[in-house]
Amino acid sequence: MTNQDRRVISTGTAPWKSPVALSVFLHLLIVVVALAGWSWTSPVDEPPPRSISARLVTQQQPEPSPVVEPDDQPDRDQERRAEEERKKAEAERRRQEEEARKIAEQKAQEEEARRKAEEERKKQEALAKEQEAAKAREAARQKAEAEAKERERQKAEEERKRQEAERKQAEEEQRRLEEQRKQEEAERRRQEEEARKEAERKRLEAERRLKEQQLEALAEESRKAKEAEARRQQQAAAARAKEAQMLSESEKYQALIRERLSQAWYPPSSATEEMTARLQITLLPTGELASVKLVSSSGNTAFDNSALSAVRSLNRYPIPDDRETFERYFRQFTIEFNPRRLR
Amino acid sequence: MTKRTWTTSHKALTAALAALIMLATGARAELLIRITEGADAALPISVVPFAENGVIPPGDKVANIVRDDLAMSGEFRPLPAEKMLSLPSRREDVYFRDWRMLGQRYVLVGELSRNGDRVVARYELFDVNQEKRILGETAAASVNGMRTLGHHISDKVYEAITGVPGAFSTKLAYITLDTFNGKPRYRLQVSDVDGKRAKIRLESQEPILSPAWSPDGKRLAYVSFETGKPAIYIHELSSGQRTKVADFKGLNSAPAWSEDGRSLLMTLSKDGNAEVYRMELASRQLTKLTNHWAIDTEATYDHSGDGIFFTSDRSGGPQIYHMKSPGAEPRRITFGSRYNARPRSDNTGDYVYYVHQRNSAFHIARTNLNNGEETVLTRTESDESPSVSPNGRMLIYATKQSGNSVLTVISADGGAAYSLPASEGDVREPAWGPIVD
Repeated sequence: MTNQDRRVISTGTAPWKSPVALSVFLHLLIVVVALAGWSWTSPVDEPPPRSISARLVTQQQPEPSPVVEPDDQPDRDQERRAEEERKKAEAERRRQEEEARKIAEQKAQEEEARRKAEEERKKQEALAKEQEAAKAREAARQKAEAEAKERERQKAEEERKRQEAERKQAEEEQRRLEEQRKQEEAERRRQEEEARKEAERKRLEAERRLKEQQLEALAEESRKAKEAEARRQQQAAAARAKEAQMLSESEKYQALIRERLSQAWYPPSSATEEMTARLQITLLPTGELASVKLVSSSGNTAFDNSALSAVRSLNRYPIPDDRETFERYFRQFTIEFNPRRLR
Repeated sequence: MTKRTWTTSHKALTAALAALIMLATGARAELLIRITEGADAALPISVVPFAENGVIPPGDKVANIVRDDLAMSGEFRPLPAEKMLSLPSRREDVYFRDWRMLGQRYVLVGELSRNGDRVVARYELFDVNQEKRILGETAAASVNGMRTLGHHISDKVYEAITGVPGAFSTKLAYITLDTFNGKPRYRLQVSDVDGKRAKIRLESQEPILSPAWSPDGKRLAYVSFETGKPAIYIHELSSGQRTKVADFKGLNSAPAWSEDGRSLLMTLSKDGNAEVYRMELASRQLTKLTNHWAIDTEATYDHSGDGIFFTSDRSGGPQIYHMKSPGAEPRRITFGSRYNARPRSDNTGDYVYYVHQRNSAFHIARTNLNNGEETVLTRTESDESPSVSPNGRMLIYATKQSGNSVLTVISADGGAAYSLPASEGDVREPAWGPIVD
């Protein structure tokens, strides 16, 4: 029981610092000692003063802490322990009652003596009570003072809390504003970001477009190049075809010229298979001979003459109608006279 | 303005392109046409009758002689005078266009003038197509030498056109056979190549065979049976002096002159078998060139003058053999048939000509010594005694015509034939004389 008290007292360490609290404490201590003395002489059936302390504890709780839970646990503990204590006390009480009955019987004789003593004690007690009452009044006053102080304190506390709350609210507001600002900032940033992104997107888009345009231009260029190449190839193919045609045309007329010249050529008796005369022929587009030049002599005048005479004997050379073929092959060409089969 | 600029630049571009094409074309190998065969025909030539200034002896016209000579060669096709559009005798009168129209390749014009007892010929040969004079000379001959003059001009024209010396001024030797007073009359005659101006050099009732010209054209060697047996004589034409050089026992035949005229090839059988010998004329020393159990005969010098061709039946029938140098192993030349005889070399060394039997007919054939290719040159039958002109371009041989033996001239490649005017009787054993200056 004392342990319990001390514990309870010790709990209220904070009030030690104020003299009110000290006074309260001392009063209480006296009361407790008196009660203890009582309890020791008479059976204690009243509930343990823990409720007071409990109330004190409750009262002394500085502020409605939002965190009640952690203190609740020790409270339940205390109740449990108080129950146990209570049970124990019950048992003790019974035992003590038994004991007291026995003692009463034993000490009935002493009652008188004691009664006197009691009266004395009651007188003293009344005095004590008076003192006590004074003390109590004082205590009450002090208490009221304390309570006023407490209320004041609480009020201050409340004020403080209110201020705190206000502050908090302000803070909250500020925070909120801040938050809002931040949000706005964020929004702004976001918008900025978005704008930036948009700008970036636009830039990229522009770049992409430019690139696309460039690519398109390249593609166009490539397409054009390809087309040009295709055209060129087509032209080349056409040119080749033309070439082939001209060649075949040319071959036809070469054969004709060969035939005509073979008929016109009278290889002289002195001709040998080793003799070769080369003549460069220039024709007019009419097929008439424009000029002939002996570019390589056979070394035999008669042979050279026979060739020259043969070349000049044709009034008109058989030439293709196609002017291009003519220009390509027959405007100027070489005739080689070289008997392969002499008679 | 802009348009004009464009047009200008366009033109410039076109020009540049054209230049490029031209350049490209220029870079290309120029077209080359090879002519490997000539006309298989005689060359058209016009021999315009010569103008005559002063008194020119009647008779043979120089232009006609030239025309016939050229025709005889087989290489020319002279235009008859009546087809000529004009008869120029000088260059300034020659209208090439006219001659071109007539398809003529050459035109020979000229004029004769009298200079004392000589006749001077001034003549020009024109290439019609080139409109160019390729020959212009003067030549003179005695008043009665118009044929000589004609043949001379023929030679010059022939050489100017063909590059080969003409052989129209050369002589022919041949043997004629007829009967006189019921007896056979063999006559050795010498004439121009056209058979004209023939002169009898020897007459005999016994056979005369194998006349052969000395390289200088002054002597003839031949075989005469005038003593009843064959003997080889050398006949000095200018003096008529004859020398019997070989009269051995057995055969004395087929004389052939060496290039230097100092020795004769001949076939002798004095040792029992017919073999080819060489006789040094100065010393009459004999060298036996062949030695075979078969008959070896009809030897003739080859183109080099060192080796000989001869006929031998060592393979069973007569075939032509070539001994490249004295003592060398003879190489058989002919394989085309079972009978090939009487070889004659030409001056080029490319061919050997001979009598060739095919399908029981005798032709003249030649073998290309470079590739062994044999060509039958004649279409006539019973052909014999080929003799090649000294320029290698013509060939004379004897053949049968209406039962008589006649001489025919062909071009050495077997072209057009020209028969010499036939006299009475047979004409055989022709020998073409050398070109003499």
